[in-house]
Amino acid sequence: MRSIKKKVAEEMKRGHRGPDAGCPYHPSHFKGQDCTFCYCPFYPCNDTDLGADIGSKRGGTVWDCTDCLFIHRTNVCRFILSEFERQGITDPGDPRIPGILPEAKRRFFRTGRALMILGATSDAGKSVTVAALCRILSRKGHLVAPFKAQNMSLNSRVTRKGHEIAMIQVLQAMAAGIKNPDYHMNPILLKPKGDTVSQVMVEGRPFGDYDVGRYYGEFVPGPGREIVKRNADFLKARYDFVIMEGAGSPAEINIYDRDIANMGAARLADADCILVVNVEWGGAFAYALGTLELLEDQDRRRLKGIILNNVRGDPSRMEDGARRLEEIAGVPVLGIVPHADVRLPTEDSGSFRGRDSVGSGRIKVAAIKLPRIANFTDLDPLFLEDTTVKFVTDPREIPGFDAIIIPGTKNTVEDLAWMKESGMADAVKAMKGKVPILGICGGYQMMGRTLRDPKGLEGSRPGTHEGLGLFDTETEWDEYSKRVRQDSAVLISTGEPVDGYEIHMGMKVRDGEAPLFRVDNFNESFDEGSVREDEMLFGSYLHGLLDRPAFRRYFLSFASSGEGEVGTEDYDRDVDENLDRLADVFESSLDMDALMGILGVRP
Amino acid sequence: MFLGTSSGAGKTTMAAVYCRHLASKGVRTAPFKASNLSLNSYATSEGGEIGMGQAFQAWACGAEPSVEMNPVLLKPSGGRMQVILRGRPFAEASVGQDPDTEMMAAEAFRAFDSLSSRYDAVVCEGSGSPAEINLLDRDIANMRMVRERGIPAVLVADIERGGVFAVIYGTWRLIPEEDRHLLRGFIINRFRGDPSLLRSGIERMEELTGMKCLGVMPYADLRFPEEDSLSEGRGRLEGGDLRGAFMDNLDELLEIARESLDMRALDRIAGG
Repeated sequence: MRSIKKKVAEEMKRGHRGPDAGCPYHPSHFKGQDCTFCYCPFYPCNDTDLGADIGSKRGGTVWDCTDCLFIHRTNVCRFILSEFERQGITDPGDPRIPGILPEAKRRFFRTGRALMILGATSDAGKSVTVAALCRILSRKGHLVAPFKAQNMSLNSRVTRKGHEIAMIQVLQAMAAGIKNPDYHMNPILLKPKGDTVSQVMVEGRPFGDYDVGRYYGEFVPGPGREIVKRNADFLKARYDFVIMEGAGSPAEINIYDRDIANMGAARLADADCILVVNVEWGGAFAYALGTLELLEDQDRRRLKGIILNNVRGDPSRMEDGARRLEEIAGVPVLGIVPHADVRLPTEDSGSFRGRDSVGSGRIKVAAIKLPRIANFTDLDPLFLEDTTVKFVTDPREIPGFDAIIIPGTKNTVEDLAWMKESGMADAVKAMKGKVPILGICGGYQMMGRTLRDPKGLEGSRPGTHEGLGLFDTETEWDEYSKRVRQDSAVLISTGEPVDGYEIHMGMKVRDGEAPLFRVDNFNESFDEGSVREDEMLFGSYLHGLLDRPAFRRYFLSFASSGEGEVGTEDYDRDVDENLDRLADVFESSLDMDALMGILGVRP
Repeated sequence: MFLGTSSGAGKTTMAAVYCRHLASKGVRTAPFKASNLSLNSYATSEGGEIGMGQAFQAWACGAEPSVEMNPVLLKPSGGRMQVILRGRPFAEASVGQDPDTEMMAAEAFRAFDSLSSRYDAVVCEGSGSPAEINLLDRDIANMRMVRERGIPAVLVADIERGGVFAVIYGTWRLIPEEDRHLLRGFIINRFRGDPSLLRSGIERMEELTGMKCLGVMPYADLRFPEEDSLSEGRGRLEGGDLRGAFMDNLDELLEIARESLDMRALDRIAGG
C-alpha cells in the first residue's frame, strides 16, 4: 500500500500526462488511454462498478481493479487533477480524496450503448462489419468493445488470463484498440466435436459437452441467458459502445424462442440492431425484407438499419433497389458497401468454401485438410510470403509440394484414422527428408510414434494408436483436462522470439527428440516441440507460431532453398493495416451521421 | 417453373431432377430457360450455343439439346457481354448498356411457345432471384415468363447458409401481389440434419404464404454442371464419360428426391 501511495504522490506532482507512448507497457489497456494515473489515487475504491474482491493467495480477499478503464479516461483524469488543485490536495493520504470519486462517477460514468450486428445468413459479413465499426469508433476516440454471446468455431485464442475465446473476437478487439481481450467478449464458445455434439466453453473454460437438443433444451433456458446478460452488462459498464455480433440468421423461426445469440442477446443487452446482407449470391432484398418481417414485433422495433454488403462492381446499380427496400421495409439502408479487398483471418472453414488455394507465390505449401481441422488461421501468415497454400485432401497431390503442414484438429485420434484410411499418412511419410514437414498441435501429436488413449477420451473408444512415426514421441490422454495458456518462446536454432498459445487435451509423455522452442513465461520455463533439421521435421503445440517472422522464415528456408522471397513482416502489423483499410471502406460507404445517431451520439 | 431464392440455390439441378422424373414416366419433356448468364455453354447438334445447364436438362429428358431450350445466352467477358440469340452471337454490349429487353423477351416467348407445341411438358428454370427489385423491369427469365404464360412456379431455397425462411418469405413478399397465386410451393434444398427440426418453421411459412412445402432435400455430395459463374464445382463425379457420369448422379438424386419430396403434389402443380 505504501509503495502505491508513493507512486500516486509522484503522479500528483507531475500533473496531466495523456498517453505515455514511451512506457514499455503502453498501452496496457487500450489505444489512446490516459496514463496520468498508472497507480490509482482511489485504490482500493471498493466500488463494484469498477472492480471486485478476489481471493488472494494467502487466503482472504484482495481488491482487483485490473479491468477498470474509468481511471484511464482523459476527462476523468483532468477532473481529478482539477479537484486536487481546487481543494489544495497534495498528499495521497488526504482523507478528502475518496470523496472525489463519487463526483467523478456522477459526471463521467455512463453505461455504454450496445449495438447488435445481425446477418441475414452465415458469411453475411457480420464479423468484418463489427471489426470495421470497432475500428471506426476507436479512431474517433470512443472506448469500444466487441461482443458475441455465442460463437460456434474451432478457431480460438487464449487470453492473457488463460481463457479461451473465439479468434474472431480477438481480432475485433484488436480493431477496437484493446490490448487484452477477455472472455466477456465471447462468453459462450461452442467447439463442434462431431456432427451433432459440441464442447461448450463458458467464460473461457470447458463447461460440458452438449448435443443440439440438450443445448437448446437445457443449457439455453438454464444458465445460458444469465451468462449472456452478466457479460454484456460487464462490458457496458466499462465501454462507451459494445458492438455485438449475431450468429447465423436471426429469423430461424423454428428455434426463435430459444435463441440467445441474436435477438435473445439483443434483448438481454438492450441493443439496437443493424442487419447485414451479403449481396454476392443474389436475393439480397428478399433476405433483408424476409428477415425483418419474420422478427417478432418487440424485436423488429430494435432494427434501425440495413447494410448491403460485399457489392462487386458498381455499387450505384443497387441504389434503386435500396430505395424501394426502404419504402417497403420502413427501415433505412445505411450503406451499400463494396467488396473490401483486405487480408484478415477468417472465421470458419465455410469461408474457404470453393477457394481451396490462397496466394500465387513460388513456394507451394500443402496444408492437409483434416476432416476436423481446427485453428487453421495458424496458416494465414504464410500469405505474407511468396507462397501458394493449398488445402489438400487427395494424397496423390502431395508429391507436388515444397512443404507440408499438418494443422490442428478437434479430434486427433479420428483424424489420424482418416489420414491412414485416405492414404494421406503414407503420402506424407514418403516425403520425409525431401520437403519440410510441420505438425501443429494435433498434427504434431500425429507425427509421433504412439498415441495412447486408454480411457477413450479423444477417440470414441479406448485404444492405442500408431502415429506417423516421424518423431519418437508419445502422447497420452489420461484425464479430461485441457492445457490453455499463452507462451513466449525463442526459436532455439536462431535465438529469435516467437509467441504462441497452447490449447490441447492430451500431453506428451515421452520425447526422444531435440526441442524446437524454449518457452520462457514469467513463472515457468520449459522446452517445447520437436525438431530434426537433417530430416526437415518440425512439430509444436504452439498455435500462432508463424505469426512472427522468426519461425516462418526458418521453416520456409528449408522449402525454398533460398529461392522464394521470405519476408520479415510482422503479421500483427499487417492485420492492423488491413483493419484500417477495412474501416476506410465502411466509413466511406456508410451514412455515418445516421449510424452515430443510432448510437446516440449527437453531431 | 423452378425459381431460385438466390444464385446457386439448386434450380438447375432440381429442374433436371424433375425432367428425369417426367421422362421416366413417359412424358415427352423439354427444359427451358429464357435467359442464361453463363460462361459454361454447350454446342448443339445444329451448331448453336446454349447454356450447359439446359443441355444437361435435355439429356435428363432424353431429348436432343436445341437452341430453343435457351434462346438467350449472355456471356460476360471482361467489361463486355456477348449476347447469343437462338444459339448465334448477336451483339457485344458493354456492361451496364443492356441489350434490348423487349427484343429478347420476344425471342424467349417464341422459343417457349414452340417447345410447348411440340412437347407434353416444358420444365422451366428461372435466373438468379426473381426478387431483385433493382432489376425487375429488365428481368425476362423469372416472373415475366410466369405471368405472361401462366406458368405455375416453385421456389427452390438453399438452407446451407441459413436464413432460409427469411428468404422464402422475403421473395414471396417482393413478388407483386397479383402474381403471387402462381407461386405454388417451395423446396428447401441442401439440408444437413434431422428435417423434423424444421417442422414448426415450415408450418409457419405455409400459413404465412399459402405456398405448400414440397419437401426438404438432404445435402447430396454429387456434382452437376455449373449453374452459373457463382456456383462452385464440388461434389462427387466418377467415370470417364462426363454425360454418363452426370446422368448416373442424376438418377441417384432422383431416388433421393422421390424419398424426400412430395412428387405427386409437384405433379399436380405442374399439371395446373
